[in-house]
Amino acid sequence: MSEPNRRSAGPLLEVTGLQAGYGQAEVLHGISLSVDPGEVVVILGANGAGKTTTLRAIVGLIGRHGTVSIGGTTLRPGLPAEAVAAGLSLVPQGRGTFTKLSVAENLLVGATNRRDKAGITSDINRWYDVFPALAARTGQAAGTLSGGEQQMLAVARSLMSRPSLLLCDEPSLGLAPLVVRSVFEVLRQINEQDGTAMLIVEQNAELALDLASRVYLLEVGEVVSSGAAEELRHSDAVRRAYLGY
Amino acid sequence: MQFFLDRLFDGISNGAIYAALALALVMVYRATGTINFAQGEMALFTTYLAWGLTTKGVPVALCLLVAAAAGFALGAASERVLVRPIEKHSLLATLIVLLGLFSVLNASDGLIWGKGNQSMPSLFPNTLQSYVSVLGARLYWANIGVWLLVAAVVALMFGLFNGTRLGLQMRATANNRESAALAGIPVGRILMLGWGISAAIGAIAGVLFTPLTPDSLGLGEMFPLLIYASAAALFGGLDSPGGAVIGGLLLGVAEVMLSAYVPAIGGQLQEAIAFVAIVAVLLIRPQGLFGTREVERV
Repeated sequence: MSEPNRRSAGPLLEVTGLQAGYGQAEVLHGISLSVDPGEVVVILGANGAGKTTTLRAIVGLIGRHGTVSIGGTTLRPGLPAEAVAAGLSLVPQGRGTFTKLSVAENLLVGATNRRDKAGITSDINRWYDVFPALAARTGQAAGTLSGGEQQMLAVARSLMSRPSLLLCDEPSLGLAPLVVRSVFEVLRQINEQDGTAMLIVEQNAELALDLASRVYLLEVGEVVSSGAAEELRHSDAVRRAYLGY
Repeated sequence: MQFFLDRLFDGISNGAIYAALALALVMVYRATGTINFAQGEMALFTTYLAWGLTTKGVPVALCLLVAAAAGFALGAASERVLVRPIEKHSLLATLIVLLGLFSVLNASDGLIWGKGNQSMPSLFPNTLQSYVSVLGARLYWANIGVWLLVAAVVALMFGLFNGTRLGLQMRATANNRESAALAGIPVGRILMLGWGISAAIGAIAGVLFTPLTPDSLGLGEMFPLLIYASAAALFGGLDSPGGAVIGGLLLGVAEVMLSAYVPAIGGQLQEAIAFVAIVAVLLIRPQGLFGTREVERV
C-alpha cells in the first residue's frame, strides 16, 4: 500500500472549519477535529447534531467547505474515490450492502482500489476467519443476510481497501446487544493488530467510550467539547446526556 | 413443416433484435433506474448514419463499427449532459427529458437524411438465392448472420458483467450507487460507460435489423421496436440481462407464430401482442420472469 509521506508526528486526519449541509440548510457550522495515526476517536451527539453529515462530508459524498487532509495531503471535495485512495474508508449508516451481489463480490468491490490479487484473496480469507458467518455464505446474495451479518460484511468490505483510517457511522444501529458487542470487539482487534485509526459516530456511548481514547461532543453542527475519553466519561454533562446515569 | 420453420426463423431473427434492444434497455435501467425512451431513436439515428455512409461506398462492416462507436458517444454524452444533472431531482423529469431526446433525434434524422424510406444494405449475402435449405424451409444467411452477431454481443456482455473487474463495478454501481462511490468506484464514469455500451448495442441492433426488410429505414421504424423491446425487458425482468434476451426471443417467435396461425390477429394486430404481454406480466408477475423481487432483510 502506498503511504504518501505520512509524518508520524502530525495527525493522520485533520479537519478544519468543515461546513456542509443539504441544499440551503447548513448542518455543520465549521467543525475542526483530528485523528492521530492508530488512534480511535468517537463523536458523540444527539440526533440531528450533524454526526453523519460530518462523516459524509469528510469522505466527499456531499459537498463541503473547509479543509480535510489526510497524512498532510489535502483532499478535494466531492471525490470519494480520491478519499479512498488516500486511505479513508467509511462504513455507512445502514450498512450500504450491495444486496444483489454475493458476499464474496461485496468484499471484492471493497478492494476496488487495489491490484494485488494475492493480497486481496488473503484479506478476504482473513475476514472469513474473523466473521465465520460470512464464510458460510460466500455465494449468497448479501441482501439475504441478517442485520448483524450485513454489519459485519460492511465492516469487512470497508477494510478491504486497507484504510489507514476507518470511519464508522453508527455501527450498533438496529443490532441486538450481543451482536453490537462482537462488532465492537472486532473493531478493537483490528485497531490493535493493524494500527488502523478509527473515527466512530455512535449512540451507544458506553461501548464507544470503552474503545475510544478521545471524544468530540457535537451539538447542532458545532464541536462543543472534546477531550480524553476517560475525562469525558466522568464529566457530569456527558454522563447525563449520553450514558444515562 | 416448411411453413412453420420459415416462420420460426423469422421469429428468431426478430426476437434476436428485440433481445439486443431489450438488453440495451436493461443496461440503462440498471444504471439509472429509468426506461430510456430514446433508446430506439438513438438506434435509428446511428442506423441512418451507417446507411448514409453506405451510400458513399463505405463497406457495411465498417459502417456497423462507425454506428456502434457513434452510438457509444451518443449514449455516454446523453448520460453526462442530459440525464445526470436531472435525475437527482426526479425520475419523472428524467423520463420527460428522454422523451424530448426522442423527438429531437427523430426530427434530426428527418432533417439530415430526409423523410423517404430507404433500403439498408445487409452485412451478409442478401439475395433471394442466399439461403440454405432446412427441411424444405429457407434459412437465409442474413438470418444466420443476425443470430450469430446478436449471440456474440450477448456473450460479450455476459463475459463483461460476470467475468471482469469492470463488470463487477458496473453491477455494484447499479445495485448501490453510494456504496459504490464509497468503495472508490468512479461512479460517473461507470454510468457513462453503461449508457454508451447500451446505445452501441442499440446501434448494432438497428444496422442488423433494418436490412431484413426492404425499404424499412424510415422515421417510424424504431418506435414499434422500442415497444417490443420494452415488453421483452419487462417480460424477462427489467434488471435481468438474461431475462431480457429470453424475453426478446420468446416475444419475437410468439409474435410471428400468432399472426401466422391465428387469423384474427393477422398482420394488423401484431403490435398489440407486445402490449398484451406487458399488461399480463405486470398483472401476474410484476418482477418479470427472471427479475429480482427485492429480497432484503434489515
